[in-house]
Amino acid sequence: MKGVRILCMALLGFLMVTSCSENQDFDQLDNLEITPDYETSVFYVKAQESLINRVAGLSFFTQDFNFDAFEEPFFTTRVLSGVLTYELENTTSKPIEIRLEFLDEGENILDTEVFRMDAAPTAVLSRDVAYGTTGKSLDIIKATSEIRLTAINLGDNSSESDLPDPSVVLRSRAKFTLELQ
Amino acid sequence: MRLTRCLFIIPMLFTLGAIAQNKSILYDFNEIPQSLSVNPGVETDFKWFAGVPLLSGVSGYGGSNGISVHDIFANDGVDINVKFRERALNTLTPKDEFSSTIQLEYLSGGFRGENPNLFYSFGGYLEFDNITYWPQDYASLIFDGNADQLGRRFDLGDLKTRGSLINVLHFGVNKRIDRNLTIGGRGKIYSGIVDYSSTSNNGHLSNIEGQNNRIATNLSADLLLRTSGLQDLDDASDSDTFTNEVISRALFGGDLGLGIDFGFTYHLTERTTITGSLLDVGFIYHSSDPKSYSLKGNTTVEGIQINVLENFASLNRDFWQDLVDDIEAEVPFETDTKSYVSFRPTKMYASIRNDFGEPVGKEGQQSCDCTAGSSGCELRTKYRNSFGGQLYIINRSRGPQMALTGFYTRRIGNILAFKGTYTVDKFSYTNVGLGMNLQAGPVNFYIMADNLLSYNNIAATNYASFQFGLNIISWGRN
Repeated sequence: MKGVRILCMALLGFLMVTSCSENQDFDQLDNLEITPDYETSVFYVKAQESLINRVAGLSFFTQDFNFDAFEEPFFTTRVLSGVLTYELENTTSKPIEIRLEFLDEGENILDTEVFRMDAAPTAVLSRDVAYGTTGKSLDIIKATSEIRLTAINLGDNSSESDLPDPSVVLRSRAKFTLELQ
Repeated sequence: MRLTRCLFIIPMLFTLGAIAQNKSILYDFNEIPQSLSVNPGVETDFKWFAGVPLLSGVSGYGGSNGISVHDIFANDGVDINVKFRERALNTLTPKDEFSSTIQLEYLSGGFRGENPNLFYSFGGYLEFDNITYWPQDYASLIFDGNADQLGRRFDLGDLKTRGSLINVLHFGVNKRIDRNLTIGGRGKIYSGIVDYSSTSNNGHLSNIEGQNNRIATNLSADLLLRTSGLQDLDDASDSDTFTNEVISRALFGGDLGLGIDFGFTYHLTERTTITGSLLDVGFIYHSSDPKSYSLKGNTTVEGIQINVLENFASLNRDFWQDLVDDIEAEVPFETDTKSYVSFRPTKMYASIRNDFGEPVGKEGQQSCDCTAGSSGCELRTKYRNSFGGQLYIINRSRGPQMALTGFYTRRIGNILAFKGTYTVDKFSYTNVGLGMNLQAGPVNFYIMADNLLSYNNIAATNYASFQFGLNIISWGRN
């Protein structure tokens, strides 16, 4: 009986004391990469042909828009790369030029995107603009504080398209890769 | 070096997150006074007992049913990004949990009253428990983002976590009704030090095709995080009064609550016994330092939208700020300091036991089926062997969790007793536990641990649990 006690106690003691772990490397945590891709719409602008016809001169619309999204510290300190995708649709009877200028806080122009479209009927113009290692400098995005949108009528001020609700529509979305760790 | 690693791994398991501990080995281990803590209606034959302060009952548990430390941190040459994706992101579900409990008994005692059928017990312990379910869609958003996933609804209800640090003072009565039935009850006063819970979240985040722009981002949120005590402790930490604040909150200076435990033992036959207990039927009213954070509302965003004709008169306004303001108005993030009530995770134990073999201490001479005990009346004979089954159920935020245990108890004289268990639950199908109770004169020492088969590589286990304690026991005999 004494032997049983000793054996059981020894077994328990052995399990408690010698229980151990294979070699673990917790430093691996430093190599864990968290680089998600986030996507959302950025801006949508619509200018009706009736409005264009009412404005004399080439430029029928010029506006500076505050755009702080890219300036948020959470974004600027983590963004690795990104793509801005534009879609321009022109259902008016006029050729159109759209000019997008990215401005910093001092209203200095950092970058410009120019779109030209013939009068309707035309296909939708789609353009991807990459930023980061394979595209334009990310500093443009990080420093952008305002976007200046200029729309130019390269046609007349009287014709009207037969298409329903003739207008110039600019759609855009952004897809960015962030480095969270 | 190996021991050092163990000492590192075990605390890490506990900090992974976790739940109230299933004390399957301690349950119905009548030789140990702390078995009263899991069944106030256990049969006792002590005249009195006194736990050694801070050493009478120490227990801890850490569990994660879906993944282990070894799965991620094994030094196996595999890229941690591959391991994390294969073993966590692509595998875990919102039903998988990370849970832990640590309990430290600092006061424990009991004595038999003038009526020998009554046994009173009292004590106090600190308890930290935490459970966090794997927030699957939050993890997807953090690691993969929402790009190129039109139509996918990220479930914001995946966030479920709760935890608390409390001090519990208790007083219980154990009454032997007759030779077959013993019942017990215990009242508890909870003094909450810290509490946090976020368990009733709902909503989703999704990208769908927009009406005007290419993408419409929908946010429907009903999120709530409740905390109590965190602000006070944070302030105390800044002013170097952290310890005083913890002690103050532990001794009724924090949140207060009440709870009760019940239990019974009933002999169906001479050698067949059923037991049951219901623990922590109670609540805590958090009023001392409550702070709640909520995000509630619905919004759809397609970016800055300018219809030149419609907005012609207000084109100079700040469209970006208006967009931000609209979102904040539709889905406001609010804080308040309203008191709230939290319910303790109620546990239930049940067991059936069959005794066999020779009576303990009779050297095989069973002249009657009773022994003289300190209660002054006949007590049930203890047999050398017992086997049976136990059921454990705990109420959790994603529904009850259950564990089934088969056990075998072997008593070697009045000095030594062992209890082996095999438990099946969501953490493991190979959970073998072993407990030992040593009675050296008046000194009682017990130690027990679960999931022993995993101890050769504890980092790979999904569950680790231990209990030990030291008591002084008197039976009122010379």
